[in-house]
Amino acid sequence: MSNDSPSPRGRDAFCRRTRREFVWQAGGAFGAVALADMLSKDGFLSQQAVAADGKTPFVNPLAAKPPHFAPKAKSVIFLFMYGGPSHIDTFDYKPNMIGMDGKSITVKTFGRGGHRNEGRVVEPRWKFKQYGKCGKWVSDLFPNLGECVDDIAFLHSMTADSPIHGSAMLMMNSGKILSGAPSLGSWVNYGLGSVNENLPGYVVMLDPTGGPISGAKNWSSGYMPATYQGTILRTKGAPILDLQPPPGVSRALQRDLLDSLKVINDQHMQTRADNSDLAARIASYELAFKMQESAPEVVQFSDESEDTLNLYGVKDPKTEDFGKRCLMARRLVERGVRFVQLYSGGNHNDANWDAHGDLEKNHNLHAGATDLPIAGLLKDLKRRGLLDSTLVVWGGEFGRQPTAEYAKGSGRDHNAYGFTMWMAGGGIKGGVSIGTTDEIGSKAVEKPFHVKNLHATILHQLGLDPNRLSYFFSGLDQKLVGVEHIEPIHEIIA
Amino acid sequence: MSPYFNSPFFLSAITTSRQSGHLGLIRSVLAICVLGLVGTCNLGANEPKKQSVDFSRDIRPILAKHCFACHGPDKKEGGFRLVDQESATSQAESGARPIVPSDPAKSELMKRIASQEESQRMPPEGKGLSPREIGLLEQWIQEGAEFKKHWAFLPLERPATPVVEDRDWVRNPIDAFIRKGLEDASLQPVGQASAQVLVRRLYTNITGLPPSIEDVNTFMHSVESHGLDVAYESLVDRLLADPRLGERWARHWLDIVRYAETNSFERDGPKPNAWKYRDYVIRSFNQDKPYSQFLGEQIAGDELESTNAETLTATGFYRLGIWDDEPADPLQARFDEYDDLVTTIGQSIMGLTLNCARCHDHKIDPISQKDYYSMVAFVRDVTSYGARGNETRNSQIDMTAPQVNDRYDSLRREQESIEKQMREIEQRGIVKMSAEDQRATEGPERGKVLRQKLEANLDAGDWKTWTGHRDRLKEVREEIKGLPPRIAALGLAHCEARPPVTKVLGRGNPTSEGEEVAPDFPKLFASKTPSITEAPADAKSAGRRKVLAQWLTSEQNFLTARVIVNRVWQHHFGRGLHKTPNNFGQMGEAPTHPELLDWLATELVRQNWNLKPIHRMMLLSNTYRMSSSTIREDGGLNQEALEQDPSNDRFWRFNMRRLSAEEIRDRVLFATGHLNNEKFGPSIFPKLADEVKAGQSVPGKGWEDSNETNASKRSVYIHIKRSLIPPELANFDFPETDSSCEARFLTTQPAQALGMLNGAFMQQQAKKWASRLKESVGGTPERMWDAAIERAWSRPATSEDLESLAQLTAKLKRQHQVSDDDALKFACLVILNANEFVYLD
Repeated sequence: MSNDSPSPRGRDAFCRRTRREFVWQAGGAFGAVALADMLSKDGFLSQQAVAADGKTPFVNPLAAKPPHFAPKAKSVIFLFMYGGPSHIDTFDYKPNMIGMDGKSITVKTFGRGGHRNEGRVVEPRWKFKQYGKCGKWVSDLFPNLGECVDDIAFLHSMTADSPIHGSAMLMMNSGKILSGAPSLGSWVNYGLGSVNENLPGYVVMLDPTGGPISGAKNWSSGYMPATYQGTILRTKGAPILDLQPPPGVSRALQRDLLDSLKVINDQHMQTRADNSDLAARIASYELAFKMQESAPEVVQFSDESEDTLNLYGVKDPKTEDFGKRCLMARRLVERGVRFVQLYSGGNHNDANWDAHGDLEKNHNLHAGATDLPIAGLLKDLKRRGLLDSTLVVWGGEFGRQPTAEYAKGSGRDHNAYGFTMWMAGGGIKGGVSIGTTDEIGSKAVEKPFHVKNLHATILHQLGLDPNRLSYFFSGLDQKLVGVEHIEPIHEIIA
Repeated sequence: MSPYFNSPFFLSAITTSRQSGHLGLIRSVLAICVLGLVGTCNLGANEPKKQSVDFSRDIRPILAKHCFACHGPDKKEGGFRLVDQESATSQAESGARPIVPSDPAKSELMKRIASQEESQRMPPEGKGLSPREIGLLEQWIQEGAEFKKHWAFLPLERPATPVVEDRDWVRNPIDAFIRKGLEDASLQPVGQASAQVLVRRLYTNITGLPPSIEDVNTFMHSVESHGLDVAYESLVDRLLADPRLGERWARHWLDIVRYAETNSFERDGPKPNAWKYRDYVIRSFNQDKPYSQFLGEQIAGDELESTNAETLTATGFYRLGIWDDEPADPLQARFDEYDDLVTTIGQSIMGLTLNCARCHDHKIDPISQKDYYSMVAFVRDVTSYGARGNETRNSQIDMTAPQVNDRYDSLRREQESIEKQMREIEQRGIVKMSAEDQRATEGPERGKVLRQKLEANLDAGDWKTWTGHRDRLKEVREEIKGLPPRIAALGLAHCEARPPVTKVLGRGNPTSEGEEVAPDFPKLFASKTPSITEAPADAKSAGRRKVLAQWLTSEQNFLTARVIVNRVWQHHFGRGLHKTPNNFGQMGEAPTHPELLDWLATELVRQNWNLKPIHRMMLLSNTYRMSSSTIREDGGLNQEALEQDPSNDRFWRFNMRRLSAEEIRDRVLFATGHLNNEKFGPSIFPKLADEVKAGQSVPGKGWEDSNETNASKRSVYIHIKRSLIPPELANFDFPETDSSCEARFLTTQPAQALGMLNGAFMQQQAKKWASRLKESVGGTPERMWDAAIERAWSRPATSEDLESLAQLTAKLKRQHQVSDDDALKFACLVILNANEFVYLD
């Protein structure tokens, strides 16, 4: 296909070819056409793999594809602090607020409780200390993570379009406040594929209390094929849905079933040899069989040292759960999984970072469960030389307000006007802090960044041009970052 | 077909298949629907006959690919564009004329694209145009360089039925168009499919279910006694009257209208009675309701001259989309809702991406931003789905019988009046009570206090009256309880009869209001602007949508009929005659058979918009009866077609297809004998694994557990919760629910294999099937396998089939010590997993 089309490389090459050219050129009906086109040009057609039986050709739809330009990161671990952690209580140091507790001030806020113009200040509830060579102020919620600040770039001026969980979650995960669009992990797998065909390219690990609101919409492939949707990986039981045969079916027995199925399918194919879909389906069973071996191996920690297990807090009940998931995240990216998303917090109310009532109780719980494991993850990635190629992203769907939500108590409402996220590894500068909020953290003032800038940065580090990675749907070239040109956050790119 | 295996052609078939298959494989795994894509570019490479050049098909794609980036609709580098004859033939900045009609030699364009000099050659980057492309452009300029208007934007006219050389092949006009296309390319069609293949194909494509072996045998007998043609035609007629038709074809419509039964977002709350819209669609297809009426009811079922439960239920169309009950920006959200409606109406009914003109004029198609907002004005009286806390007022249409409603009302009035009188009497007693008791009567303790102390604080008369009221109240409450339940349907329960003025919004931003617009049709139709007077004060709606509905199926709208016949074709033949069914604009792909498409569209209008005659004509065509193999009628391999048209653009054979998610699940239930054929009714909730529910913020919320009988109804009845699509559907490419889906993906991925082998549903079905076989068939394992294969694959088992299962069983028993029962279960599982089970010839 399209042997005579220009190479996509070079600054303008793609921009000079519009989507409509793609369509006409490829003569195809669907968005994946763009991908097919890209693949054919990138020599994908010659990279046909062979399934486990050694004969059947199989082309994995998630086969690795070359990026637009040399990437800094190969994988992403997105630590999603669901519910929205309070930035001024964690990483956005506001010394001027000390002594303001209980004061009524004029401040514009917008959260679950609607728009307000004044409120009662809730002073940051934790003490801050300076860490690392960069001297970053970090609250006592994250003493372990504090040790890693020299590897971290803090984004203090994040903004989002919605301070309401439903649409804000969609925004952070898919770049849109309306449902139906593919999530970030889907875009990454669409653009790059995965280098390990025996594991899903996009893995999501949930909190034991439940998923986030909107559930599967958060890891949906939207209008892209289901090939790109996130796969839930569990720490307990069979790691992937239907991965393991039911009781009474051994691996050897399943092998015999597959062999028998193959004989029958081969007979069926004899008169239909020109239909390669049939061969592909046969091969997909072989791939499934291989996954049955590979996936459980990821969740087995028997080859991890005592020291490593402790690094992640796997043996401490407080940190065990998130620690296991962080360790699994490392094992996944080690095996080439492209995008891993971990949720801290699930369900509703205080089962996640959504601290409307007792801020201290809430954040002590969730920071307590994640501080050590996240620090462990960063340290472990670093000592294994994986941090350079693994982009770690931390944050929630928004931050929290400087003022109290109710007449009494320390609970804070949502805040999408300004909040903090951070990134580490994958070609991101360490020990830097970019952007600021105002003196009380109510809104971003200096260098405000939108969620789209964050997405652009993630794609950019993976070697994908955020303004070029597009998918044709509903008559439009859809992009994760939308129609307007969006810049990555250059200030934190090493 | 077996004689051909030994022929030399068979060997070459394999070689060829490796080539075409190689490309085909990419298609399948990349999830690109059925056909297309790869072959188109190659098509014509060795075209034997020189045909006249078609601008849309041959030229515009070349210009778009190589020239438009600098000289297209958006850019005018060098002072010229190549978008219409005027712009392409006038003098450019250089002084030269890019195109001189009928004179390629004088056309600067020809010089530049053929130039060997790097600095002269156009386009400046890349390899440049291929010799074939240059040849086409030359021929086109030679022939006059006409920029013909986009085919789909021309009025609908009935083309003459072509005359073909092989007249015997033509059963009806469809065949004439198809055969003409083949003859033009000097290609031969393959032979006819066997009776066995045809019966399975007909059942599946009409009803969504396979024939039982009894159905197959009946058909075979009928073929024997009356001949294939007669038997085939009578089967077509019988199946077109089969009420299962609606259950398959409704699902296609539901894909197009973004059908789901919840709202998405944080709560993903239910849309009560959405299933009634689904049932309405099934009934409409079964009744062969004229498509014009079907559309009219959905667009303006509340504004028709005579409305009824059916037409009101149809307006559920407006309520199927996503709805954020807690939007961060309510005004923006409101316009997102209008956008959902205009997008869906545009794409699903007219095949137009009107949505592309929300923020600016359409980049490619002649659709202006004003057109977009004029369409918004038509639906401006459609209220939001609801308000948080009140999701019934706007969207639940009360359909309770009037006498029942009257009784409800009068009982409620009586209840209120009694309660009021009782409170007055109670108050006279309460004031005499202690302060403590008085306070208690203001809270939840009131009932208790009154029971204990009221009598003592009232005079005898009051007490008597009070107890009388009390007893009557009890009766009233009981009667209310005993009344038939109120009935409601999802739809337009409340509209804004006098909506605010609609304005063009700059960059789609609702705070950036521009020019005022009235309801009007997109200008590309050149229809007269409708004059719609403001609705009277007591009107229930603005009266605009009925005007839109009428126009959609009027002669002025040349797209509606084209779009729907294309969809019917799509679901019988595997892909549309136009491959982008939601986009008939210039960004869509050129249709492979535009004349046939137009002929069918005019035929639909001629048939009073009844779809069944169109189905019938397609099904009775020779085109439909072709084999999906590569063997010609004369027994030879269709080498030329495979090489020149590997993606079957010209329909030289029937397209084999993988069944849809619903068809696979239904077929499993059918095979195992557990399909519940009951139609209609509230949606069903098949059992979901805990692992699936664990993804929800409150695992299990919004998912009921249907009993086994209900859960075994056909898949079209499964509850569609936007954030929780059952894996059996999701794995096999159930569409994204939040926007119109023109054609489903067809992916092949390991999750499908895992679900089909290990999933609880499949395991359970295989097990039940095995015990059923043992009971109803019994005897030797061979007998039971034979029956199982007949049931699942709609054909008798071959000795090879039985041998494979025998070998499996021997191995299972010898090496894995599996019991006879379990061995049969595993054999059943293998039969259900076979490619033959999920692919249709």
